[in-house]
Amino acid sequence: MTGPAPVPEPIVSPDVEEVLLTHEQITARVGELGAQLAADYDDRSPVLVSVLKGSIIFLADLVRAMDIPLAIDLMEVSSYGAATESSGQVRILKDLSGSIEDRHVIVVEDIIDTGLTLNYLLRYLEDRGPASIRVCCLLDKPARRLASIEIDYRGFTIPDRFVIGYGLDYDERYRNLPYIGVLRPSVYTPAAE
Amino acid sequence: MAATLTDGSPRFAHQSEAELARILDFYGVAWQYEPDIFPLSWNAEGAVTESFAPDFYLPEVDLYLELTTLKQSLVRKKNRKLRWLRQLYPDVRVKLFYARDFRALMVKYGRLDFLADVTAMNGNGPLDDRASASA
Repeated sequence: MTGPAPVPEPIVSPDVEEVLLTHEQITARVGELGAQLAADYDDRSPVLVSVLKGSIIFLADLVRAMDIPLAIDLMEVSSYGAATESSGQVRILKDLSGSIEDRHVIVVEDIIDTGLTLNYLLRYLEDRGPASIRVCCLLDKPARRLASIEIDYRGFTIPDRFVIGYGLDYDERYRNLPYIGVLRPSVYTPAAE
Repeated sequence: MAATLTDGSPRFAHQSEAELARILDFYGVAWQYEPDIFPLSWNAEGAVTESFAPDFYLPEVDLYLELTTLKQSLVRKKNRKLRWLRQLYPDVRVKLFYARDFRALMVKYGRLDFLADVTAMNGNGPLDDRASASA
């Protein structure tokens, strides 16, 4: 061994108009959130519930910044666009693996914009009898809000732009970018540019 | 109050309104279509000469939503009405949903096909699939 391998330069996709949050900024903020959560939930062994797929990278980094006993669980819900031809309502595609009754739940979200999915999810989780539910999100885009959401832990408040990377996708692409970038509008509206 | 169809569901003025209603229904968010009319100006006899009826009311968040059309002249008119409304009714929460906001919503849900249709018809295309009121 001759020492650590050099850290590769982050890939800047040509589809990214602007890097909104660098990997370093995200890492620092996630560390702060993790430390704050660990302090607040010190002896309560929380369950961190995350929604597939966008939140998994944030969740993975967040739990590693929390030096306390905890559990994680994952859910997947149908989204409107994918389901308009079939069901007229949200469907749970993957439910919790374990019970959250009398447990302290932290819902971990990558981004909250309209708040519609999270609003539905919170009502669903409340019915499972947890001791408490709080919300932790990496990105808050309040300009788009259509549902009432109380955010307890917030990484960044961002402007009303289409963001990708660090788990966030457009058409299942760009999740692996290590930063949060603004997607070039020409990618999703070819006539726009 | 908004006009309704024979089955009691609202007669939406634009396809974009019907689509937003379907999205709200999908996520179980209660809504009402044009439930209230806010007078904005009166003549010397006290009769209302101008009013504003926001498209949607979301009771759970106590928020009115107004969707704008794609015509810039109508957007300006709505902006002006909205300024009046906020002056006359400061406790009423209204959010103007611009064409760009609606477009972003369609991109989010991968509904670019719908967006292309509604853009081509300036939002006034035939409504063959109406959402039902949930509140």
